[in-house]
Amino acid sequence: MKKQIAKYYPIIPVFAAYLVLFLIGRNVTGTWQLVAMLLFYCALGQAFNIFLGMTGYVDFGYVAFMGVGTYGMALSITRLANIEGLGAAVIAIGFLLALLMSTLLSLAVGAVALRLRGAYFAIATIGVNEGFRFLIEGARIWNGSEGLIFTAQLNQILGRETASALMTFWADIMVLIIAALAAFVTLFYMRSKIGYALTALREDEDAAKVMGINVTKFKIIAFVTSACFAGLVGAASWALKTPYVFPPEVFEIHYTIEAIIIVLLGGAGTLLGPVAGGLIYGISKYYLSIILPGFQLLIFAPIIILIIVLFPEGVIGMLKNRVKNSALARFII
Amino acid sequence: MVFEQLSGNLIQGIVLGAIYGMATMGLSLIFGVLKVVNVGHGAFIMVGAFVTLWLFNALGISPIIAVPIAFGVGMGLGLIFYYTIMQRLLKAPELATLLATFAIGVLLEEIVKLIFGSEFRGYNWAVGKIGLGVTVLPLSKLYACIGSILVAALLYLWFKKTRAGSAVRSVVEDSEGARVCGVNVGGAYALSFALGIGLTVASGTLLTMFIPVGINPYMGGGYTLKAFVIAVLGGLASPYGAFFGGLVFGIIENGSYTLFALIPGVEPFALTRFLSFVMLLVILLIKPTGLLSGSGK
Amino acid sequence: MALLTVENVTKRFGGLVAVNRVSFEIRQGEFIGIVGPNGSGKTTLFNVISGVYFPEEGKVTFDDIDITRLPPYKRAPLGIGRTFQIPRPFASATVRENIAVGAMFGSLSGKVSVDESLDIADKTIERVNLQEHREKPAGTLTPVEKKLMEIARALAMKPKLLLMDEAMAGMHPNDIDQMVSFIKRIAQEEKIAIVSMVEHIMRAVVGMAERVIVLHQGSKIVDAPTKEALEDPKVVEVYLGHPPEEK
Repeated sequence: MKKQIAKYYPIIPVFAAYLVLFLIGRNVTGTWQLVAMLLFYCALGQAFNIFLGMTGYVDFGYVAFMGVGTYGMALSITRLANIEGLGAAVIAIGFLLALLMSTLLSLAVGAVALRLRGAYFAIATIGVNEGFRFLIEGARIWNGSEGLIFTAQLNQILGRETASALMTFWADIMVLIIAALAAFVTLFYMRSKIGYALTALREDEDAAKVMGINVTKFKIIAFVTSACFAGLVGAASWALKTPYVFPPEVFEIHYTIEAIIIVLLGGAGTLLGPVAGGLIYGISKYYLSIILPGFQLLIFAPIIILIIVLFPEGVIGMLKNRVKNSALARFII
Repeated sequence: MVFEQLSGNLIQGIVLGAIYGMATMGLSLIFGVLKVVNVGHGAFIMVGAFVTLWLFNALGISPIIAVPIAFGVGMGLGLIFYYTIMQRLLKAPELATLLATFAIGVLLEEIVKLIFGSEFRGYNWAVGKIGLGVTVLPLSKLYACIGSILVAALLYLWFKKTRAGSAVRSVVEDSEGARVCGVNVGGAYALSFALGIGLTVASGTLLTMFIPVGINPYMGGGYTLKAFVIAVLGGLASPYGAFFGGLVFGIIENGSYTLFALIPGVEPFALTRFLSFVMLLVILLIKPTGLLSGSGK
Repeated sequence: MALLTVENVTKRFGGLVAVNRVSFEIRQGEFIGIVGPNGSGKTTLFNVISGVYFPEEGKVTFDDIDITRLPPYKRAPLGIGRTFQIPRPFASATVRENIAVGAMFGSLSGKVSVDESLDIADKTIERVNLQEHREKPAGTLTPVEKKLMEIARALAMKPKLLLMDEAMAGMHPNDIDQMVSFIKRIAQEEKIAIVSMVEHIMRAVVGMAERVIVLHQGSKIVDAPTKEALEDPKVVEVYLGHPPEEK
């Protein structure tokens, strides 16, 4: 039993980091905005890492899952606003809808794309976010390019005060929970057969097949899990904080770029990586936006190239090597 | 009347397709030789567009002259990126080159944004029109089409007739064998990468001759997707397949836009873009090595 | 009772016939060698048995199950293991984790937990004497150690049939002797049939295969106990280019 618990020690630094963030945000005035942003980036990183880090495949259309998650929440709020007595359950339904929609989209894309190897898969995903956006706009689904605005409905369901509290505080708490959950699932996968299968297929897909691993099945598991968390992040961090959704905004490749930066910076495939990456990127972006607004991609693009060429294991990867033979090794993975 | 419209459409599609095709040849060349997918492809097209814009607006240089200049710029960029980055990643897992080319694309977008700002710009190269029976075509578009075909032909000749071209071809067939025969494989890689980027940047110029507006740092993204559709259509490793794939794609894109415009209640531009994405998935499912690829190069 | 039956298997690539109506049987616990120079079709035959290729004609049966069109990952749980000529470790995972993968997805697939697989890995590591490298990333091992790990990983799959692809290639003769006797011992203890693919018949002799199947240009020309095969004129001709009666 003790051995079982010991397997989960590495979650402690992750939860500790989130706890510290929360405490800082609550107790140091004026920092909650920054904390909320950092939590968003950590959650995004954890979600993206489940796929990129564990399979070594990159999904360039990743933001599409955040987008549909946002739509899920938005649809729940707009369509159910007039049903008496649902109240805050609409939010819960919104999350469920977000989960459902990301699962469906990821299964649809995955069924096609995950049969393809490495580069072909990446190519297939390049248009997913755009494709979905243009589908919505082109076929005028869910109000097409006009998007959905639901401030009024939100106020109606929750009352003005609660709605405001949701947008400025509780939504961020939900993001924190999502980030923690994503970290937990990551560790769970790592310790289970899923993790071993993913490592094997990441290192050598053909050898993995010969060893008896159904690589497509495991790729799909990682892909759908990662997509679901993206949907939840979109629902909490976009729909619940800014009550409107416009297709060009929620399918912007920009967020995929940030996710890639965060995961690579922190260390792809590590548990703590997304936390480290999210913090570093988030803080840098925050301060850059004060000194040199709009410059963060200009600065991070070459950093990414540097990491790929010189430090592919990322911050946590390097830290892991440092602490390899010490007591800390059990906590840093 | 319908026949006229359709054949007019066809001609427009072919003209556009030739340019699309030429714009994709660089992508296929780089994949064919280095087995690297240049995810930042669209950004290089954008660079070509801006080079043309600047040369025209600031120096009054005609886009026709801009084509070889853009090509030169592209080759320079290609060599720089090859020797600083790509060369070190030849032995790395595929993911590394995918992300590196992606990051290079982002970097280019940001640098261009820094220099030129993010507004949409254009230029006006008024050289008149030409009547082609069923349709009227601005001469600039015709020049762009002719230019694309010329470049494709030049590339073909280069591969067939020059030593460097033969060396590159041998590397594609069998890099170890080529090495043993004394071919400078590293040099062939560098040259191919530079050539591929050069072609891509030059295609940006030709593209602006066709669509001289809407030039902005982020215009590349849409073209990356189209280029990939064309590339898998024609065979990811074959520059000539890419050219013909471009023709096919141009016709389909133009035709579908007209068709979608006939359906009430939908937005044809958006649906056409959605269609390209669907085409990509379908082709990748059926035959990832390219619908049009036989054994030819 | 045959463990593996290959019946009239033909594999073509375009116009080229790589494997031409090859048939043979392997019984439980047998140690046979498939021998043939480059181009003889032995690699293709190997790939057909392990599932990388499906034959155009013919049938492959394992343990009474028709596996002709079964994908590779489904053959492993049935008890077919394979090693590669150039070892393919999962580089960033430890030796222990590598071998555990074999246990998890091999013939015990679905019946062992992660911890049990790690235990099996530990035991297998002891048998191959890789204890001091247990926690090292597999990518950092020397080529010989990687070879050992490759074999250990296949053994952890608890296979009934082990396909060994030029396992001894590039090894020092002393190491080969050790390796061979080690493999034979384990094979006997666990009743594993071994198909060893080698390029030259002498290696099969050194590897002490009981029986050899000699391929030439895609067809089986000899299927006999090793000693007999060595003296078979057809074999001599294949390797020397002329029948033994001449010069």
